[in-house]
Amino acid sequence: MLLLVLCLPLLTHAEATIDDGKALFKANCASCHNKNMKSKSTGPALGGAEERWADYPKVDLYGWIRNSGAMVKANHPRAVEIYNEWDKSQMTAMPNLTDENIESILLYIDAVFTGAMGGPIITTNGDGSGTGSEEKGFGNWIYGLLLLMLGFLALILTRIIGNLNKIAAAKEGKFVETKTLTQTLTSKGVITFLIFAMVILGGYTTMNNAVNLGRQQGYAPDQPIKFSHETHAGVNKIDCQYCHDGARRSKHAVIPATNTCMNCHKAITVGSEHGTAEITKIFASAGFNPNTNKYIDDAENVHADTIAAIYKKWIGDNYMEANEIESLDKKGEKFVDNQWTDIVSSLTDEQKDKVFGPIPWIRIHNLPDHVYFNHSQHVGVGKVECETCHGQVEEMATLEQYSPLSMGWCINCHRQTEVQFQGNEYYESYAKYHEEFANGTREKVTVEDIGGLECQKCHY
Amino acid sequence: MENNNIWIGGKDLTRDEEFIKESQNEFNGLTPEKAALAAEKVQTNRRDFLKYLGFGLGAATVAAGCDAPINKAIPYVIKPDSIIPGVATYYASSYVEGGDFCPIIVKTREGRPIKIEGNSMSSMTNGGTSARAQASVLSLYDVNRFKAPIVEGEKVDWINLDKTVKEKLAASKGIRFVTNTILSPTDKRTVELFKAKFPNTKVVTYDPVSAGAILEANEISFGDRVVPNYRFDKADLILSFGADFLGTWISPVEYATQYAKKRKVSGADSKMSRHIQVESHMSMTGSNADNRILVKPSEQGAAIAYLASKIVGGSAPAFSNAAAKSALDKVANQLSANRGKSLVVSASNNVHEQILVNAINNALGNLGTTVDFAHASLQRQGSERELKTLVDELKGGLVDTIIFNNCNPVFEYADGLALNDAMSGAYKIALGYTPNETTTSANVIAPVHHTLESWGDAEPKRGVISMVQPTISPLFNTRQAGLSLLNWAEAAPGGSQPYLSFLKNTWKSGVFADQTDFIGFDGFWNKVLKDGVLNTSGGNAAPSFVANAAASMSRVSKPTNSELEISFYEKVSIGNGTFANNPWLQEMPDPVDRTSWGNYLAVPIDFDGVKRINGFNGLVDGDLVDLTIGDKTVRVPVIQQFGQMPGTVALAMGYGRDNSGLCANGVGVNVNDCMPVVDGMTQYYNSNVAVSGKVGKEKDFSCVQYHNSYGVTAKDNDGNTINADEAALGMAYGLGGYQGALVDRSVIYTTNLKDLGSTLKKVHHKREEAQHLNDQTLYPFNEYSADKYKQGHHWGMHVDTQTCTGCNACTVACMAENNVPVVGKKEVSRHHEMTWLRIDRYYYGDLKNPNVVYQPMMCQHCDNAPCENVCPVNATNHSSEGLNQMAYNRCVGTRYCANNCPYKVRRFNWLDYTTADLFPANQVPLNGETIPFGADNLSRMVLNPDVTVRSRGVIEKCSFCVQRLQEGKLIAKKEGRSLRDSDVKTACQTACPTDAITFGDRNNKHGDLAKKLASPMNFIALEEINVQSSVNYTIKVNNRDTSLDA
Repeated sequence: MLLLVLCLPLLTHAEATIDDGKALFKANCASCHNKNMKSKSTGPALGGAEERWADYPKVDLYGWIRNSGAMVKANHPRAVEIYNEWDKSQMTAMPNLTDENIESILLYIDAVFTGAMGGPIITTNGDGSGTGSEEKGFGNWIYGLLLLMLGFLALILTRIIGNLNKIAAAKEGKFVETKTLTQTLTSKGVITFLIFAMVILGGYTTMNNAVNLGRQQGYAPDQPIKFSHETHAGVNKIDCQYCHDGARRSKHAVIPATNTCMNCHKAITVGSEHGTAEITKIFASAGFNPNTNKYIDDAENVHADTIAAIYKKWIGDNYMEANEIESLDKKGEKFVDNQWTDIVSSLTDEQKDKVFGPIPWIRIHNLPDHVYFNHSQHVGVGKVECETCHGQVEEMATLEQYSPLSMGWCINCHRQTEVQFQGNEYYESYAKYHEEFANGTREKVTVEDIGGLECQKCHY
Repeated sequence: MENNNIWIGGKDLTRDEEFIKESQNEFNGLTPEKAALAAEKVQTNRRDFLKYLGFGLGAATVAAGCDAPINKAIPYVIKPDSIIPGVATYYASSYVEGGDFCPIIVKTREGRPIKIEGNSMSSMTNGGTSARAQASVLSLYDVNRFKAPIVEGEKVDWINLDKTVKEKLAASKGIRFVTNTILSPTDKRTVELFKAKFPNTKVVTYDPVSAGAILEANEISFGDRVVPNYRFDKADLILSFGADFLGTWISPVEYATQYAKKRKVSGADSKMSRHIQVESHMSMTGSNADNRILVKPSEQGAAIAYLASKIVGGSAPAFSNAAAKSALDKVANQLSANRGKSLVVSASNNVHEQILVNAINNALGNLGTTVDFAHASLQRQGSERELKTLVDELKGGLVDTIIFNNCNPVFEYADGLALNDAMSGAYKIALGYTPNETTTSANVIAPVHHTLESWGDAEPKRGVISMVQPTISPLFNTRQAGLSLLNWAEAAPGGSQPYLSFLKNTWKSGVFADQTDFIGFDGFWNKVLKDGVLNTSGGNAAPSFVANAAASMSRVSKPTNSELEISFYEKVSIGNGTFANNPWLQEMPDPVDRTSWGNYLAVPIDFDGVKRINGFNGLVDGDLVDLTIGDKTVRVPVIQQFGQMPGTVALAMGYGRDNSGLCANGVGVNVNDCMPVVDGMTQYYNSNVAVSGKVGKEKDFSCVQYHNSYGVTAKDNDGNTINADEAALGMAYGLGGYQGALVDRSVIYTTNLKDLGSTLKKVHHKREEAQHLNDQTLYPFNEYSADKYKQGHHWGMHVDTQTCTGCNACTVACMAENNVPVVGKKEVSRHHEMTWLRIDRYYYGDLKNPNVVYQPMMCQHCDNAPCENVCPVNATNHSSEGLNQMAYNRCVGTRYCANNCPYKVRRFNWLDYTTADLFPANQVPLNGETIPFGADNLSRMVLNPDVTVRSRGVIEKCSFCVQRLQEGKLIAKKEGRSLRDSDVKTACQTACPTDAITFGDRNNKHGDLAKKLASPMNFIALEEINVQSSVNYTIKVNNRDTSLDA
């Protein structure tokens, strides 16, 4: 019995609704609302939302979440208040959310806000250690208490049985030696039990950690150029697909070629944050001479010293301009040298000894070789927003991997995501589903319904 | 219904005990006894177990502690407009290798050519390809390529090479430019310019396998030194004297495309052509023939003369083969009955025999109909007579410099050794691609581009032009052969792409000037490059026959009295050694004898009809013999060949290469120097031959004939294991044990055209019976499948065994498309070949002179698949689109699925063939190589990035090219339209020159597949075992005239 009691917490999971809420939050809310529930983001911090709406019926809150615009139009006082507070910007309508969905999300928000549950799991570099324990649920203390009580009960019962046995034995005239604590603890039964428990625990932890091997959610390596998505996508609102133009037509979203950078950076030659330190790297990669505003002829074969002189002059000139001096002082020379050394080390590696040529970016989203993923399928056909998988990129100064990119995560999305079924003639071949739509027995077709969970949709 | 008398070889006919034992054994080489032995050797005790456990835990801890590897993502600096990373780009080009030609579309990914497709706009091939064309993409990434210019063994730069060569050429008193057929008009112009600069140059053109006699005969007969444009699609009666026109002869893809048009049978009242092959060794073309008339190689001339005497008149020389004579009498009558609709071809390399063939065609009124000169073929232009002259000139000191234009006469020419001796004093310049016997002694090696790196054009037939455009920038420091010539002639235009400028200039004054559709050259040029092919006006109309046939009668080759004769034939795969360094082609089994990695002496087989095979010299498959031809003796393994004429043997040429690269060296034996040169022409047979008795056993006998055969066994009354069909077979022939010929098992159905009506009835009856039995189940499949597959796609395939010629283009296409590894000779001999698509070859009919049926066999994607049920980890399962899916990363390698597959199409990665394993292979090198074939970084460039490279320990099999299906579906979805047949074509389907394979969506009632599935000719292999296969085959119909057998 004791065994059973001990194993209980290991076998149970956190409540399903919170899990649902978490998934829904990620899919629908996380793109605008901060996942710590405490800070503002594009949208307000969600922690404590329920209290703030406590004066109104729950239905109002549901309505607000589902379609805030309608509530503002209907002149709901609280709605109008928030609307004005947030510079009259509206939240995207989400008519598909059911009341249960919203309740799940609210539960999750509350759990995170009160600290009963961590935010989305962020692990550091690849090893995923410690994720197993973080999943511990909201009501764990109840189990703890229960465990303690049952353990106590078991102890009492054991004692009673032991004493009764002793009495019975004494009645029969036998003398039974009372076991000392040491004897009890070193008895075969206890040791067996302990080993058993250790194996179970060890196995469980190993399993969890093994599953997470190679996953790198939250991976945010230093890139050769301190490129900030916050500046480009956030402040300057450049469309994702301006640079990542493969997303709509290829399996790869594509890291843009240097000449795509040059489209703008021919004009923007000095950065707001890093000055010449970062943008000069683009020039060096493209073989562009910023002093003359011209591309260097046959840059690949120009001697490294000549190249260095060009860019050092550029850095130096800018340094002098910024410090309003006529010639480079000692400090300035050091500044130029340091910056150039950094540029060279960023743009070169074992395979590439010249600064000219492609920028050796570090790949963040790594799928295993046996996985086929196609961006155009998701972005073009499925109309999935970039944020759904890549998160609030416009807030990332250093890009990080937002999603776990695990198979479970893919599968879960395929289960929940609706296919853009109507209006695409391709799906006409799914005659049965169209019939069911017509006679009202079907509301939606998910990716799963058209075979999206089958092995050879992604593995071949 | 002749489904009971098919067999695959001698072993199953005789119920060879070893073979039965082997075929009961699912996995060759892993008999229970061996497994037990192996287990004894590996004695793992408790301590070891603990050690391993401890190590395992430790290793896991270390692995977990490591950071994930840092991967780089390297973008372009300036992205080319034509490339979108991740999306394939296609270019029209041509496969040209000497006179071998095929218009192609090249698939490139991120700038790398990875797959060859046929160009469906071509009037010659309609999109068909050959195994050689398919495999040519791998030659691009050949590690043995010359990577830099070489002068006297030293690597130099091009400037120095040009300087050296020019000095040498200027001082030469006699220059010879030795080349195979040049198809390119532009390349020919470079040669002309070179000759203008160095007037003491003569061009020596020869072909690896000669058609010199045809050219000379046509010059004498018609005043036109070309190979005519044969029209197999217009011939109701085809008579071929040893010409392997479907496999290797002149333009096999074109001929196969035409041939198939007259061989299709749609129902009981269909008509088809009759094809009669006169030969001694069963060639691939012979295997497709309705009748084979057996004559010894030396009798072929007499046979042609005999036929000519019947049709043209005149007196024929003595011809003592009575059976052939009586058959030819009847053939003569049939030919006369098919005036203008018959075609006689011959591969003979005797001018007078070819003149007689011309006379026969002329007398039959075939000129202008089936033998056309307006679009005559230019694919063979050479004659080895010129090589003979070259040897004489060298000996006479008239020649001091030779330029070899990417050719290998020392090996290919029968008197190559004489040439090698004679040219030892000459200065040799090789425009070479890979090392070979000729380049070994060259003073200068000017490395050339692969066709896929080159600009160019080709005129394979008069009025048919095809483009060659580069699909990748040169991988190494190589230069196009034409440009080297232009440079040496100081005629090269300037610019960054001088040869392109030269090509354009040639076209501006040539083809462009002759056309009227385009006003501007650029528009014209772009159109031609995009299409890849261009048809212009042809040549003259039919010329008249002017030769003296009567004079030729007496000058045909004389039959010899020798007891044994040997014929030398070209393999579909490696030709006359030209393709020997291509691992895909080496591993591709020969269609007929099904051997790979080497040449095997085909010996006749004499079956007594009961149990004994009176093998030739008592030899059985895999025995080594000493073969003495003239004064040369070689040791070769033998293979028993049905249909091989008694008193003859045959051996493939082109093997036994030296200094020619990793996969060519030492594979097979070289018999090229055993071919006699008579009157300047190489004769592909020798009458001075002797075969010893067994002198040993071939160690790695790599014949896939008996591998993966899908026969079953049963127990007889005494409890002994027998082939299930033995008893019933007794009825047919009084013998038993035909492999695959299972009682009431539908593997293959064959019939003669005249019995087709009754056969169809029987097959339909049998199918109904099978379907009825299949319906008797607790789990009504039809209801289930109707619900499951009613909507969306339900993939299926149709294979027309009637038009399948067995050419293996599909097999190689499949290897290219799906990253199928090459395993090498030893592994093939251990039944470990990995091909997803095999072409089963069955004999049927007459034991002495059987017909052949080919059955391409791939995963049948059964909707009630036995493999799926037995997988313990659900690694193989079924998709809603009817695909039998294989998830490699889930597979743990139990091989239960392969065991349970009734068609034997699953392949297991026994070893780390691809070096894809995470941990380095702890296995010994298989073929003496440092890494397996194709696992080096250069060869890996050919891999299809959309298909996983499998590692050791997993099962793989045909996926119906699921990556293509997914891509096709995505394109349709993106364009918001329904799926078309053209969106989803499998690699085997697009490779096929005869349209034998049709793939599609069974739910598309208006698609190509639906039409094919409606044919009454269809059956499903092993339909009665209720696996609900997705592949339909057709009944094989022959048009054999049994009266010719008498």
